[in-house]
Amino acid sequence: MLNESVIRDVLSAVLKSGGDFAELFFERKYENRYELKDGKIEQATSGEIVGVGIRGFLGTKAVYAYTNDLSRENLINVAKKVGEALGETKVEDLTFNFNRTKRKERHVVLIPPAQVEKTDKVSVMKKAYYAAKNYSELIKQVVVWYWDYDQEILVANSEGTWAEDRRVRTRLMINAVAEKDGVLERGFYGPGAGMGFEFFDRIDVEEAAKKAARIAARMVEAEPAPAGKMTVVIANGFGGVIFHEAVGHGLEATSVAKGASVFAGKLGQKVAAECVSAVDDATIPNGWGSANVDDEGTPTQRTLLIDKGVLVGYLVDKLGERRMGMKSTGSGRRQDYTFPPTSRMSNTFILPGDYHPEEIIAATEYGLYAKTMGGGSVNPATGEFNFAVSEAYLIEKGRITKPVRGATLIGKGHEIIQKIDMVGNDLARDQGMCGSFSGSVPADVGQPTIRVKEIVVGGRNK
Amino acid sequence: MTFEEFKDRLFALAKKNGVEVQISFLETREFSLRLANGDLDQYTDAGKFNVEIKVLKDGKTGTFRTQVLENPEKCFEEALSNLQVKDSEEKEYFFEGGKEYREMETYVGRFEKLSVKEKMDMAKKAHESAAKDERVVMVPTVMYKDMVIKKIITNTLGLDVESQMDGGFLFAMAIARDANPRSGSWYELARTPEDLNPEEIGKRAAEEAISLIGSKTIPSGKYPVLMRNTALLDLMEMFIPMISAENVQKNLSPLKGKLGEQVGNPAVSIKDLPYHPKGLSSTPFDDEGVPTTEKFVLENGVLKTFLHNLKTARKEGVEPTGNGFVGGIRPVNLMLMPGEKSFEELLKEMDRGVVITEVEGMHAGANSISGEFSLFAKGYWVENGEIAHGVEDITISGNFLDLLRKIVLVGNDVKVSQHTIAPSVLVEVLDVAGK
Repeated sequence: MLNESVIRDVLSAVLKSGGDFAELFFERKYENRYELKDGKIEQATSGEIVGVGIRGFLGTKAVYAYTNDLSRENLINVAKKVGEALGETKVEDLTFNFNRTKRKERHVVLIPPAQVEKTDKVSVMKKAYYAAKNYSELIKQVVVWYWDYDQEILVANSEGTWAEDRRVRTRLMINAVAEKDGVLERGFYGPGAGMGFEFFDRIDVEEAAKKAARIAARMVEAEPAPAGKMTVVIANGFGGVIFHEAVGHGLEATSVAKGASVFAGKLGQKVAAECVSAVDDATIPNGWGSANVDDEGTPTQRTLLIDKGVLVGYLVDKLGERRMGMKSTGSGRRQDYTFPPTSRMSNTFILPGDYHPEEIIAATEYGLYAKTMGGGSVNPATGEFNFAVSEAYLIEKGRITKPVRGATLIGKGHEIIQKIDMVGNDLARDQGMCGSFSGSVPADVGQPTIRVKEIVVGGRNK
Repeated sequence: MTFEEFKDRLFALAKKNGVEVQISFLETREFSLRLANGDLDQYTDAGKFNVEIKVLKDGKTGTFRTQVLENPEKCFEEALSNLQVKDSEEKEYFFEGGKEYREMETYVGRFEKLSVKEKMDMAKKAHESAAKDERVVMVPTVMYKDMVIKKIITNTLGLDVESQMDGGFLFAMAIARDANPRSGSWYELARTPEDLNPEEIGKRAAEEAISLIGSKTIPSGKYPVLMRNTALLDLMEMFIPMISAENVQKNLSPLKGKLGEQVGNPAVSIKDLPYHPKGLSSTPFDDEGVPTTEKFVLENGVLKTFLHNLKTARKEGVEPTGNGFVGGIRPVNLMLMPGEKSFEELLKEMDRGVVITEVEGMHAGANSISGEFSLFAKGYWVENGEIAHGVEDITISGNFLDLLRKIVLVGNDVKVSQHTIAPSVLVEVLDVAGK
């Protein structure tokens, strides 16, 4: 870590040159990545990143710089450049009274990655490999990735924030490939958590691997999905990516503050069907997207976003605070020190409703059952979203019938959340990586089983 | 410590331990400006370096990456401990160097000479030009970025190469007023700032948004499709994993066993170019230090070669093609070779169908293992060889290899992106899902 006098000098150097706010972000992160193919470890890489990001504001103008030359002289030079780019000096009093309250550790780690033998990590991967490979004759290749990291951060700013945090994350990703009559199809599942190696005592690795294999094996035998508008039932867990893309990104201060979101200026208005309530919660113990404080040193919180269809909250970072006149919700996140932070989701999900998932299927005459979702993306300014369904089935007369593949769901977020008409009672969360302005960050998506009355399904025409 | 000291200490450690070692040093400087509605929203001026240490012993490698040039002993130990985890029987290699490298002008130095004010002016000009038309209600993002990257690769077998590149890009997004907001964007990449025309980029972004006013959905069906260069550039990303020899060897590519076969329409030729004057990826050597080469991947529709690194090439007894990069095997600049016809001629030729200008969701809706794609798309409906109106809420779907067979005409309007370069193409038929 950097010592306090250097940090004080850096913050002063920014403000002496310009701006009305200065921030320093220090990061040290160790990570391990392994890749297994054909049952053998093919890639083994570990690494560390160490660096500092220095940011200044002048009103709503933001300037950012980063470096991994941590000498005092260089840091001060970089800080001066940040201040000079802001241009105008606004702060007379350069004394910083850091408020160092001891952080509340919500995400206890029992077995840090560094304490685990590499061969133990490999054993987990092999267990996953064989479970997926032996699932079906159709499975011809399995690729398993293991990823862990241990990140320590320190954020200090001219408002007196002094926050330290440690984020340990562990993830296993399984990609199974099935082949039939020369056609290849894949299935993916990648559970992860904000914990150490004890994660593998909490999950069933073989079941996770079989899930990936099941998707590949079912889909390689599936017909192409039908095309056009229809009712879609989206299963729990990763299905929540629909809320994440269609709505969540549009609630981030980054686009709301510019007016570049279809949800800008809609606070207090009914934006979704009454059965829809949703939250972003970075405080879930050991959650994949959780942290004690965000990457701007603000304590994280649970933020209610939509309450029974009414828009009640946005995701706000420090720049959003200034631009929107709203308090930060602890949503400032970044991939690492090379990205300036911006408002991002952490663990975001639709809250459970009243129906058993079976009731929802039974109530559907014809439609698509999206059992496993792939990823998606959105343009917040227009609300246009898309995402891929990686495992889907047809629903006919209230029953799940044959598997179909290649379905994509598209639409406009603000329209689709009005069309959710049934919400199940089976809330679950799954893990993903979310990419945006401040890089790729771990995020949980989640939901109970939901039904969307009508949505465009991209598939093949008969 | 300096890089030289760090290297000497590592090489000495390698000798003492009877192993080979390779060091890759990558230094990046970037400058970027982002305007939101014309105001400075974000400004970044920064630099960093990354060092990768790779240890080779008995045909196995182990890797450690660091950003601290302090403790070569620790780096060496870490790399060695990763090597010990490997149980793959496939042999890995280092390149011994001593080969001729092609002369390339990958570094011009013009971007570094621009003042911050000049860079700001470029972004402002793009903004003003995008905001000019009264139908444009917002220009949420204009982004200017330039960078300099320096790369050194050296190993104990004698390889010692160095290169430097620079380049920049300018991007603008405009929103036009309609029943639903319409967004349009445009970007250009260039080696020198003179090749970036801010007025033109802003204007194109506005035109793209305005042209979508009054967009309607269309009935689901099979239509002829004019895939504009902007959309084809993204779609071609799907081809990259398919032509990796490693994926072919591991049963992860639908092109396995198809070398020498006619896999695309004779109108389609695809090359990997080590150098393109606008391609920001252009490089004389790959990340293993092997010279990059110009070659046909697809020549008149026939699959000529897969892309190799040292390991996959030796496994098959062929020459490495200079495509070994950190993170896997990939082309330098994958270019679909242009044809004769202009975009307007292609429109006339299609007569009735859909122009696709943009596809979204490549990371999820495009499966390069099966070749299947199903993607959100934007574009225009075409009647009598002319654009009638914009289309919204549609997807296109198909199989990439099938698409290669169905490209019947290739345009001459080449556009350059990060790893792909392509003109517009006319596709016989594609599945469109709408209303």
